[in-house]
Amino acid sequence: MTTFGQRRLRNWAITGMMAGLIVAIELLYDMSLRDAAFLNGWILFAGMVLLAIFNLRKKLNILPLVRMSTWLQLHIYTGLVCLLLFLLHTDFSLPNGPFEIILWILYMTMTISGLVGVALSRFLPHRISARGERVIFERIPVLRAQIARDIEDLAMTSVKETRASTIADFYVQELAPYLRRPKHLIGHLIGGTRPERRLHVAIRELERYLDERGRQILVEIDHLVSAKADLDYQYAMQLTLKSWLFFHLPLNYGLMLFTLVHIVLVYAFATGAP
Amino acid sequence: MSISVAIPRPQRWDRPLAPDMTEGDVLRVLFTLRVLGAIDQGQFPSTLSLQDIIRNDARIRRYRRGEVIIRRGDYGNALFVIISGVVRELLEQSDFDASSDADVHERRGFFETARQWWRQADTPERRDVSVYQDGHDDHGLALGRRGERESIQSIEALITRVPTRMLTEQDMFGEVAALSRAPHLSTVIAETDVEVLELRWQGLRDIRRRDKGFRDKIDAQYRASSLKAHLRESPLFQGLHETALEHIARHTLFETHGEFEWSGDFKNLADDSIDVLYSEPVIAEHGDYLDGLLLIRYGFGRISERLDHGHRTVGYVTHNEVFGLREIVDHWRDDHDLRLRHGLRAVGFVDLLRVPTALVEDYVLPNIPPHKLPGPPSSTSIRMSADFKWEAELPLEQATINFLMNNRTINGTAAMFIDTDRCTACDDCVRACASAHNNNPRFVRHGPEHDNLMVANACMHCVDPVCLIGCPTGAIHRTKDGLVIIDDITCIGCATCADSCPYDNIRMVEIRDDKGDFIVDQETQAPIVKATKCDLCLEQPGGPACQRACPHDALTRIDLRDRERLVDWLGR
Repeated sequence: MTTFGQRRLRNWAITGMMAGLIVAIELLYDMSLRDAAFLNGWILFAGMVLLAIFNLRKKLNILPLVRMSTWLQLHIYTGLVCLLLFLLHTDFSLPNGPFEIILWILYMTMTISGLVGVALSRFLPHRISARGERVIFERIPVLRAQIARDIEDLAMTSVKETRASTIADFYVQELAPYLRRPKHLIGHLIGGTRPERRLHVAIRELERYLDERGRQILVEIDHLVSAKADLDYQYAMQLTLKSWLFFHLPLNYGLMLFTLVHIVLVYAFATGAP
Repeated sequence: MSISVAIPRPQRWDRPLAPDMTEGDVLRVLFTLRVLGAIDQGQFPSTLSLQDIIRNDARIRRYRRGEVIIRRGDYGNALFVIISGVVRELLEQSDFDASSDADVHERRGFFETARQWWRQADTPERRDVSVYQDGHDDHGLALGRRGERESIQSIEALITRVPTRMLTEQDMFGEVAALSRAPHLSTVIAETDVEVLELRWQGLRDIRRRDKGFRDKIDAQYRASSLKAHLRESPLFQGLHETALEHIARHTLFETHGEFEWSGDFKNLADDSIDVLYSEPVIAEHGDYLDGLLLIRYGFGRISERLDHGHRTVGYVTHNEVFGLREIVDHWRDDHDLRLRHGLRAVGFVDLLRVPTALVEDYVLPNIPPHKLPGPPSSTSIRMSADFKWEAELPLEQATINFLMNNRTINGTAAMFIDTDRCTACDDCVRACASAHNNNPRFVRHGPEHDNLMVANACMHCVDPVCLIGCPTGAIHRTKDGLVIIDDITCIGCATCADSCPYDNIRMVEIRDDKGDFIVDQETQAPIVKATKCDLCLEQPGGPACQRACPHDALTRIDLRDRERLVDWLGR
């Protein structure tokens, strides 16, 4: 079985060779005093079509058209080769017309969002695995509501059994708003734990006002608050993993449209070009 | 949404095994076959009479001379009793055995798959209601009616080439596969034109439950056939003279450990690795005197060793593997102590043969080339695999081994493993599964987890599929190559299989007609439900859609018997 390391090495080697070939052709064109923009432009367009087909293949999910993991590898490394082609095509500089500038920005944003997506899909799953059991994204609201109900029940129980309102008051002021919806998503994403720590400290601070039964209830609430934080963590990670595509995909449609117009314009104004 | 169609609730015998089985056939069978004629019919309730069982769960089949009746290596679920004629059981491998490479499923073509994709409905679980309404099964889906018969031209030449056993009227065969949910151990060919009664598992199970005489007879034959066939099958005993083999067979014990229907006990166990291990029946204890070599015939054994006050799991043995040979070899070669260096426990249900140590030393070991025997006593090999390979402890972390053993994931031949370090929860696998299966995925992307390994709730197509045991109609069954599938038309929605599955991998779904409206019971108006589960995309051209759809190489289907692939995949 090919390991991921071996596969990465092989794919980088192929990509390197492709890049070398493209640069060599570019140099040969330069030496022969020919404009390479038409050649690298069309190769770039072919690469872009190949990249766009990836999403189509994703939808044709039961057809025997090579495994999706192979397609993704092709998508990633073709994207890198296309970036080189794009930079050669634009002479490593920002174009001067407003239309071309928009196209340039679209392409670079598209490429960067793709690279960010690759990075997210490599690093975030590790972080989710490191923090407890994987939860299905669509079930998170259900589980969060269950935790909120359990904590509310515990707060009510504390009033009945300890004849004290400390926990119930804390629930109304602090916990109920915390449990209502996902919280501190950015904090979870960047690895911050401060709000969570502050909440746990605040919970432990209540101990001094409680009897034995009250403390038992508080420990249970503390555990449930941790479970809620874990759910928020999962929500933040999974939401990020799902939502970057909503940025990457629409850009693709815009980019393809602008590219087609660009090709038409180039040929419309290319009379007399070699 | 309106309720558009009501049908009678499906019943057990709506679709008998042979619709043309007549009352006269039943009486003829009872009159002719002693094994059935001797049964006291008074033991059967009026709702489940012996005659009804035979009429619905049995059929009379006729084979012409030279036709293959059952093939070694195929899974089967029926007992065969010869009514007339002679058959030959081939005692060794032959050209007529099932081929492990053969794809027995008819897969869709590319364009048919494209059409299936294009025609996906917007509501899930749509069915053609007409197939439930007509009483007959002319849709080619009835069990055991698929496939063409294979035949041999010169049976005499075959008999001279391969050792055989002749079976005549009243003799039975096929019971080993039916009772042990394992493949047939031999191929059986019609030597003359023959007539046999085929009694499928559901009928066999009900008769066995009620009649002690029948049960004892079948079980005795099961043990006898299984013992000899398994000895012949094991690479250790190949090449032994028939007399020596007979001698060994006479002194070999056939043992059964654990519960045949182990699902309930397993479900009751808390997820506590220590409790799980101690709940498993001990077959051989670490340090015990080794009185015999253990050959696993069916099921799984947990290999463990004592560590201070507990037991450490080091691996497992399964079909056709042996346990204790290393100690016997060391004793035979270097006069080492004959004490077990590891213990063995039954995981679920285990059939095994115990071959006396003295006979192994006298007959078996001198017959094996020295290079095939284990190395010096210091080497760590603990078991011999089916292909005569010595294997060491599983090179996995202890916690991973415990996880796989305690969750009995080792039962899977197509367990869905998800590497959560790579899974981005994109659900492409779920969508692909839904596209392939009536717009409703056949698995849940969730399940027991250990570190970065998740075993998702998808049918594992178990080596020992306990879900099959209770099915009243045979709707859930094994294909010849071992896939566990559900025949939707035959399923009556009783949920017995879903309740029996130890891993909760079978789901009951409410079905709809082709307009998307629910199909209901015409009497109670309650929705008609059907059991559904992963069928490993057996009709799809490229195999499991989930695995092909995963862009991140996070998901795979693994046969846990293939330990090398398991270790490779986990260590990618």
